[in-house]
Amino acid sequence: MAAKKKRSPSVQTDSWVVIAADSVIDTQKQDSDPAFVRLRNPSTDAASLYMLGGGDVQLFEVKAFDEDFHSWFVGQTVQRDGRLLFVTPMDPLYLILPYLIKSGKEEKFQPVDQVVMDEEFPACSRLLSCTRSLASLHHIAEEKEVGKLKFHRYSQEKTMNWLKKKVERTVIVLKKRNISVGERVKSTTYIRVKSESDYHEEDYLRYAHGLISEYISEDLSKALLKHLQLPELTSPKETEPPSKKRKLSDNPVEAGEDYTKFNSADFVRKPPKKMTAAQKSLAKVDKSGMKPMSSFFSPKVKSEKK
Amino acid sequence: MDLGPFEGDNSVSCRLASQIPDVCRTEDCCLGIDEAGRGPVLGPMVYGICFCPVSRKQELKDSKVADSKTLTEAERENLFEKLDEAKSYVGWALQILSPNTISTSMLQRTKYNLNALSHDTAIGLVQYALDNGVQLKEVFVDTVGPADKYEDKLSKLFPGIDVTVRPKADSLFPIVSAASICAKVARDRVVKGWNFSEDLGGVDTDYGSGYPNDPKTKAWLLKYLDPVFGYPQFVRFSWSTAQTLMDSKGVTVHWDDDDEDGEKAAQRKNNKSMLSYFSASAGSNDQNPTHQTHRFFTDRRLKSLDTL
Repeated sequence: MAAKKKRSPSVQTDSWVVIAADSVIDTQKQDSDPAFVRLRNPSTDAASLYMLGGGDVQLFEVKAFDEDFHSWFVGQTVQRDGRLLFVTPMDPLYLILPYLIKSGKEEKFQPVDQVVMDEEFPACSRLLSCTRSLASLHHIAEEKEVGKLKFHRYSQEKTMNWLKKKVERTVIVLKKRNISVGERVKSTTYIRVKSESDYHEEDYLRYAHGLISEYISEDLSKALLKHLQLPELTSPKETEPPSKKRKLSDNPVEAGEDYTKFNSADFVRKPPKKMTAAQKSLAKVDKSGMKPMSSFFSPKVKSEKK
Repeated sequence: MDLGPFEGDNSVSCRLASQIPDVCRTEDCCLGIDEAGRGPVLGPMVYGICFCPVSRKQELKDSKVADSKTLTEAERENLFEKLDEAKSYVGWALQILSPNTISTSMLQRTKYNLNALSHDTAIGLVQYALDNGVQLKEVFVDTVGPADKYEDKLSKLFPGIDVTVRPKADSLFPIVSAASICAKVARDRVVKGWNFSEDLGGVDTDYGSGYPNDPKTKAWLLKYLDPVFGYPQFVRFSWSTAQTLMDSKGVTVHWDDDDEDGEKAAQRKNNKSMLSYFSASAGSNDQNPTHQTHRFFTDRRLKSLDTL
């Protein structure tokens, strides 16, 4: 057999296979090109990659289909990175929301360009250039106009209603796309027992809530769950039985079983049991070229060849 | 022998056959099976059957067919002509297993080893003769693997036919010799005139015998190694000669059924230690334990990125 191969870490490539709408690269009317930007992910609070369309008028999120053992053939070249990137439109409000929530604690009306600021991710101010941003701020904040200036203050109530609408819209799409929302099927080889019509409205709501929660903070997700009047699921951890305590006793420790009896002369080994039909048929399988079970437990680490 | 059907697409398995002599449909016949090109790393493996009425065995013997290995190429060609001329009572059929067929069989997920492939090919050819009305009474086979096991297998598959499996059957039974000549001639011709489906640009055909220990073959294998694709379909990828060269000179390719073991592999695959299932406080090993990506994304293998 071939020598064992060890994987070396993926090297940086300067090209990617991307699926994006035409509108992403439509830069004719714009003065700047679309660009990848790192912004704060509202759900994880860490950096995530997004894309701003030409002239920053539209926000896109970037997701990668990433599975082991994939590569691309691109024209006459091979690309080791087998990922498929999706650039899909995204509501910029999701990214603006955390900044508004933060400033909302001061309970003051503030100009939004003073709120959406981040030392770590300076590009976040560009979110306000998106056509949808300023026009839809009223979904999550109260507005006040003084002269020509607009001031905003975060509103939890408005936000909940807005998110609820998002969930409801997601439910419609989930139904239209026949997305399986029932209990988690863990293996792809499992056959789904329920037909689509058996799903309850609650399954759809819960699933949609989960999807929307990918775009909001955990606190907001919990609040939304309440707002949707969905009971929180108990986590499996809590249902686990308490760990067993060792029994304490004053008696001296004794062996539970006497193994020495097997050493006596009258102990005769039983003849091996007859194989069952299934075992017999398994024994007949062509095992040539197959690895013995023991090989899976060997701890040796193969060296990578250069 | 018209190799046209195989040369039209030499990436697959192909059957070539002579006309069935009328006498073979009415009289009891004997049939010999032999193969050519089992060992080489280059070119196809060819299985051949030859059959004739039992009553005319002697005529075949008189035509001095002998074990193809003891003959020169010219002698073999000569004898094949003779067999072809004797088409009034001798019939033959060949199964050409392309190197690509051999590679893909042996390297597929459920491994199909060369012995099994050989047995099945031989069985297929015997069935072909039966299906065409050849009155088979005796079958002689040069063995692949243990002779008695193989004989048992064939006897069970073809009840009523007297099956004899012997090592070196090609030198013991003239009908097996005849089959071996057909197989060998076909293999020689296919290898000589190999149609490379790859664009290699004036390929050097000086590849020697094709056996792994032939220095010419080794040199050819070194010359035509592509770091990405490995070899043209002419090469049996499943041969360790080819694999060793590809492993050392080619780009490393990982398949998801690669044998990987050891703790590092387990770690890479994110396998949990068995112990983690027994401890009450087993948390997930994710970097961010509070955040679990929704199954919509994990089911679809979709991830957020932080950098390109």
